[in-house]
Amino acid sequence: MRIPRIRIPAFGPTLYALALLMAALGVATPFLPILVKVNLINFLIFVGLAYAINFITGLTGYVSFGHALFMGVGAYALGAGIDRLGISPLLGVALGAVLGTIVAVGIGLVTLRFRGVYFAISSLVLFLAARNIVPEISELGGSVGILLNIGFQPLAQFYTIWSIVVIEIGVTYWVTHGRLGYGLRAIKGDEDAAKAVGIDAARLKLVLFSLSGLFAGATGAVNAWSQSGVFPDTGFDILYSLRMLAMIIIGGAGTLLGPLLGAIIVYVPYNYFLTVPSLLGLQLAVIGLLVMFMALFLPAGIVGTIRRFLPTFGRYIE
Amino acid sequence: MADLALVASDLTVGLLLGCVFAVIAHGLNLIWGVTKVVNVAHGEFIMLGAYGAYFLNLYLGFNPLLSVPVDAAIGLGVGFLFYFGFLHRELRGKETITPQSEMVTLVSTFGLSLVLGNAALAIFSADAVGIRWSPGTFAVGPVAVPIGGFYVAIVSVVVIGLSDLFLTRTYLGNAIRAYSQDIAASQLMGINPTKIAAIATAIGFGMTMAGGALLTVWLPVGISPFIGATYAPISFVIVVLGGPGKMWGSLIGGLTLGIVIDVLPAFDVSSHITIAVAFLLLIPVLLFAREGILR
Repeated sequence: MRIPRIRIPAFGPTLYALALLMAALGVATPFLPILVKVNLINFLIFVGLAYAINFITGLTGYVSFGHALFMGVGAYALGAGIDRLGISPLLGVALGAVLGTIVAVGIGLVTLRFRGVYFAISSLVLFLAARNIVPEISELGGSVGILLNIGFQPLAQFYTIWSIVVIEIGVTYWVTHGRLGYGLRAIKGDEDAAKAVGIDAARLKLVLFSLSGLFAGATGAVNAWSQSGVFPDTGFDILYSLRMLAMIIIGGAGTLLGPLLGAIIVYVPYNYFLTVPSLLGLQLAVIGLLVMFMALFLPAGIVGTIRRFLPTFGRYIE
Repeated sequence: MADLALVASDLTVGLLLGCVFAVIAHGLNLIWGVTKVVNVAHGEFIMLGAYGAYFLNLYLGFNPLLSVPVDAAIGLGVGFLFYFGFLHRELRGKETITPQSEMVTLVSTFGLSLVLGNAALAIFSADAVGIRWSPGTFAVGPVAVPIGGFYVAIVSVVVIGLSDLFLTRTYLGNAIRAYSQDIAASQLMGINPTKIAAIATAIGFGMTMAGGALLTVWLPVGISPFIGATYAPISFVIVVLGGPGKMWGSLIGGLTLGIVIDVLPAFDVSSHITIAVAFLLLIPVLLFAREGILR
């Protein structure tokens, strides 16, 4: 039997708003002061990470505690690419995306068989293993890392991460509104029932996990570029894993707008507290409190809660 | 080829270390096995148990072994609060845990671990502290056995053995096992599910915080807010290796990890690679022996 084509709904207001915001950022940034540019780059790195983890944890419900692994892969791809192969930073980011995808497919083929807590724990364990193995590889700079001498290129960095975020938003929209989206909602609801009605859950999850690895790898590469180097501690930083998860839980897992909102809520205190050393630990405690509260009382995140309690307004938010 | 006496010495230390690993993972094992929920903040409660022992030593002069019962009593109370704060809403009135509830508990306890870890960092500062307690060593042939570690190993094996006896020989223990096997059927037998899950969680927390106190023997200058992040993944791996809910599984998993961590360096494997190998043990176990290596 031929399966009927599923009609993709017309473009929604959320997508228009996001497109407008990104277009405004893209046009205005060259004229902004340098400090604001740097802030925007760092902020968009957070946004890029939030949309990256949204593909797997948000859309399929598989909680990943080790997503910073892909950031590390991307960062080291950029570092080794520039330092050893002499490629341009932009090609380095592309290399990071490709390697991120390859590693995600490899890991996904094994760990996506594990459900729930077992997937979460294996993702954490693989991250910790990579974190310990990479400093032992002398070709990748060992425990010192790779220092890049490529100068300060804020505009190139900005437009790279800007393009990554734009593509992520587009792909998220495409995934959630096409046939993939129906399959994903079925898997998130009940994976066994989804399989019973003929959804190829294993393939779908692998597609989403590799998309997630692709974008996390690319974003990790931009992060290394903006730090002019890649080091074991900052390349594989568990705090990024935790922040990624916090961003989509707070904003709304699996939604189009949620990762952006979550990134704002996590980035602003991060950026402010950075200047006050004594409060450095406290910002994560506050974010933890927020995550705890959201998970227990508003598990749909900001976007899901607005949709539920303000139906007239919430209709336009996704 | 590595020196044989050195390997024997590393093997002994590895076995003793395995015992302390087993006891810190044991509380997680019980909670995971009974309620099917994983407490991501497990490491932070080990850390709090270790600080509990540290402050008992600082103000009352307790040695780590004396603080074990005090920590366990505090842990019981904390466990009841934890059950009603985090698990009750998700477990109440359900016959099996749904994927949604599983995700909620994972994420909410993850938030808790961020709160506890960073609050501890703000309160206790990042400087490592320690308990001065070194009862020395005794010699078995060429191997010097640390007495503190030896006592800890005895306590851990006793704790694990008693918990196994408790689950198989007492009425409450049988009720806990019945609950873990089939909630609906246990209710038909007149078992109150909330009471059983709360008691099991509380006992698990008591053992976790007592495990933190025992761990301080191995960390003479290393109690810091970061030990939670170090020992939580180790506990997860141990419980998966042994199989959640199997009491002796903690010991098997702990000893496996202890031996790997202490014996590989004797064969010139670097410490980083050793840790990576110890963690990666989890993957083949999950692939080929989902219920743990203990049948």
